[in-house]
Amino acid sequence: MTTRKEQHAITAIEDDSLFTFAHYDPEAAERTGYSDYSYWGSTIRIFLKNKTAVFLLILMASLVLFTIIQPYLPNQKDPNKIHIDPETGYQLRNHSPDGEFWFGTNVIGQDLWARIWSGTRTSLLIAILVGIWEVVFGIFIGAVWGYVRQLDALITEIYNVINNIPNTILLMLLAYIMRPSFKTMVIAMCLTGWLGMARFVRNQIVIIRDREYNLASRCLGTPTHRIIIKNVLPYLVSVIVMRIALSIPGTIGWEVFLTYIGLGLPLETPSLGNLLNEGRRVMMSSSLRYQLLFPAAVLSVITVSFYVLGNAFADAADPRNHY
Amino acid sequence: MLKYSIRRILQSLVTVFIVITVVFLLMRLLPVEGYFTERVDKLTPEQQEAILRKFGLLDPWYIQLKNFYASLLKGDLGNSIIYRPNVPVVDVLRPKIPYSFGFGIASLVLSLVVGLAMGVHMAKEKGRFWDKVWTSFVVFINAVPAAVYLLFIQLYLTHITKLPILFSKDSFVSCILPTISMSLGGAAGYAMWMRRYMVDELNKDYIKLARAKGMPNKDIMVRHVMRNAFVPMAQYLPSSVLFTISGSIYIESLYSIPGMGGLLVDVIQRQDNTLVQALVLIYSVLGIFGLFLGDILMAVFDPRIRLEKEGGAR
Amino acid sequence: MKEPILSIRDLVVKFNLRGQILTAIRGASLDLYQGETLAIVGESGAGKSVLTKTWNGMLDPNGWVESGSIMFESEDLAKFTTEDQWLTVRGKKIAMVFQDPMTALNPLKTVGKQIQETLELHQDISGEAAKERTIGILSQVGISEPEMRYSQYPHEFSGGMRQRVVIAITVACNPRILICDEPTTALDVTIQAQILELIRELQAELGTTLVYITHDLGVVANVADRVAVMYAGEIIEYGTVEEIFYDPRHPYTWALLSSLPQLGIKGEPLYSIKGTPPNLFNEIEGDAFAPRNPHALKIDFVKQPPFFQVSPTHFAKTWLLDPRAPKVEPPPIVQAMQSKYKEYAI
Repeated sequence: MTTRKEQHAITAIEDDSLFTFAHYDPEAAERTGYSDYSYWGSTIRIFLKNKTAVFLLILMASLVLFTIIQPYLPNQKDPNKIHIDPETGYQLRNHSPDGEFWFGTNVIGQDLWARIWSGTRTSLLIAILVGIWEVVFGIFIGAVWGYVRQLDALITEIYNVINNIPNTILLMLLAYIMRPSFKTMVIAMCLTGWLGMARFVRNQIVIIRDREYNLASRCLGTPTHRIIIKNVLPYLVSVIVMRIALSIPGTIGWEVFLTYIGLGLPLETPSLGNLLNEGRRVMMSSSLRYQLLFPAAVLSVITVSFYVLGNAFADAADPRNHY
Repeated sequence: MLKYSIRRILQSLVTVFIVITVVFLLMRLLPVEGYFTERVDKLTPEQQEAILRKFGLLDPWYIQLKNFYASLLKGDLGNSIIYRPNVPVVDVLRPKIPYSFGFGIASLVLSLVVGLAMGVHMAKEKGRFWDKVWTSFVVFINAVPAAVYLLFIQLYLTHITKLPILFSKDSFVSCILPTISMSLGGAAGYAMWMRRYMVDELNKDYIKLARAKGMPNKDIMVRHVMRNAFVPMAQYLPSSVLFTISGSIYIESLYSIPGMGGLLVDVIQRQDNTLVQALVLIYSVLGIFGLFLGDILMAVFDPRIRLEKEGGAR
Repeated sequence: MKEPILSIRDLVVKFNLRGQILTAIRGASLDLYQGETLAIVGESGAGKSVLTKTWNGMLDPNGWVESGSIMFESEDLAKFTTEDQWLTVRGKKIAMVFQDPMTALNPLKTVGKQIQETLELHQDISGEAAKERTIGILSQVGISEPEMRYSQYPHEFSGGMRQRVVIAITVACNPRILICDEPTTALDVTIQAQILELIRELQAELGTTLVYITHDLGVVANVADRVAVMYAGEIIEYGTVEEIFYDPRHPYTWALLSSLPQLGIKGEPLYSIKGTPPNLFNEIEGDAFAPRNPHALKIDFVKQPPFFQVSPTHFAKTWLLDPRAPKVEPPPIVQAMQSKYKEYAI
């Protein structure tokens, strides 16, 4: 501890005039407590700090944009057209990638570049449709499940039944019964996909209904719609975005699976699953391996990107990571 | 504990009952061609009708349901129609199950060991190099459809390591690649789970108390954290074990393993309805049974569950 | 004067929160004497817990001791870096009781096992002998039917009983210093009294030095021999419990005492301190309490005051004690306490 002498030494230096009262401003004291936190602002800021995520976001946006405009670019070939070699008059089979056919041709002479982008369009379309349905229907059922207590037991039992039959089997069965087609695939995956979202929303609603901060809001007289908008919705929106992002690789995975076992889209409709299968047939020969590599590469990039994006968004939206 | 088990058994039985009925009704939607060994157009309508009648398919649905349950209780799953004509389903399945189960258990153990170790390492090295490496691995396995990476593993790894491409009963080394491939998905899942759980648990108060009372970190990891982490995972273990019976469709077809995995695909493609029905039934019941076992296992490890009915002091 | 068993000098502790540095302890100094009960009081966020966590290495991983010293048994705890060093101290010599008994125990292990673990760690017993000791400790902390309770799980105990178990864990090895971090805040008032009584009994039996962290001045008045008041990461006043309650000198202590609602007095407006504690991410010039201090001097905004002595046991860090400072009347409530003291003073 400082001794009396030391104290004198220190204080002796000070100017005596400083020992008068300073002006006391209670308002200024109160001002130190202000916080300008904004949930979405913080979420976006933290997301943007994740360089990988931003990169992938730009990549995916460009990719999706590209798949949409690709057919309208100059020099694009029809994915189903079989090309004939002008010199020999035969089909241009298994032509390696070159200046004219950027990804080469497949075993019947179709342009792989065009087929891949067409396939990506199809697969992405399925994935997005299923994803949107999952969210819309899932939230609806989940909300009803959570709010309407009388339906709780019924919906729980339905959920249990569908949940207990392994997805693989359900999808295979449905595709088998309804005959493989674009519509079948979308419907089948929609039938199984809403489960996760519904359960989640239902749990949230049951919890949130009685959670203390909502009770507190109600006690303060906050109207119900404001509680929903300010307390419940921000959380739901972030979950929705995340689930759509994560369901895309999932749906593409199921599509590949169903195609693998022969219940996928018919061959005239290129899809990433189809292309993968076609490539698989010729993969043993290394000169033809490009037919497998290109679809696989595109598939991997898309699935990994959406997966990472979904998780990155989930992390950014978590208020515990905010500052 | 007993009360809890009984309650769960009853719940499972109810669900089993509902599932079997639903499956049964779904089966009635199967294409009719699946019941004929010969092409549909080769049979006259009378012949078709006769065959369908023999199978009892023209009876009203509740009679069909009754007969169905009757034969189920006798252990009779019917005979295969197309796949192995007139061979009882159980005989078709019996030789195949050991393959799937064997590979399944081996890869399950591998994925547990590797996955948990990876998860612990990731939690320890959180944010640093190894965490990022393992995370990339997990992300890749989770995002990319299994068909894709399994294909490439078979393609390139056999080239590099000179391991046999196809499975054969006599060669032990031919089992290595399929087992490793099968364990990847599980490993990624367990790793992610373990990492997340450990990171969460490490912040809990009772861990802080354990540290404060002078427990070395290693002991805390093993005796408190990992043991606690295992409990929620235990719930899914029995299901995983039981599901090995269904076999991995990809692996078995890629490596020509004569297991159950390819069977379902095969019979669907060949439209052998009895087999399809039997398989769907078996898998569903296995699923429910697995969940039931999982719940019981959880209750064994987590005293809060089994004691909740006996009323602990609050 | 006795030699202190724990001596802290100019301790500075910083935390790295996502790239920004927070100075949680800004130069704290304190002495702890054998067998006494010291209470550390202050608002939430003042740094009370952080201070004690530096004594047994329980700082969060993103925090560190920047400078200063903590002398304990001839070793400087501030210089400890490895796990092994801390393991010589934790639990054995310095133990900690946490605030929330509901989460302090592993829900999946029996209570007996958790107490026994401590014994097996620090003393050379195990098996049956350890179990017997544990049952003995259980009854020592007032848990009836200890043999049965030994095999029960935490959720079968009420909050108060769980806190007893936590106390059992901490005193099992007879530590020299026991830190109680708000041990009764989460409990009912009646249970509070029981727990405080239990701790007092144990202290009498074992001769432990107690450090109470609390923001509840009622508890302080009940248990403490000496009190240290913390604000914004420094100890701004300390002294015996009578000196702090009846003759406080720092404006913050005045404000604290004035904020206590007076039982039995109706109609008086409730006093509260305006504003909030300063942002510890920033450098603070002068006295940290100045912006909220109605009696602030101009120098408070310029230079940090040193400790001024009021008595050999009572020191306060305020420029008001400087001989050049104008005379200031403490608030009415404090004055009332002061006159009461003079009545009873020996």
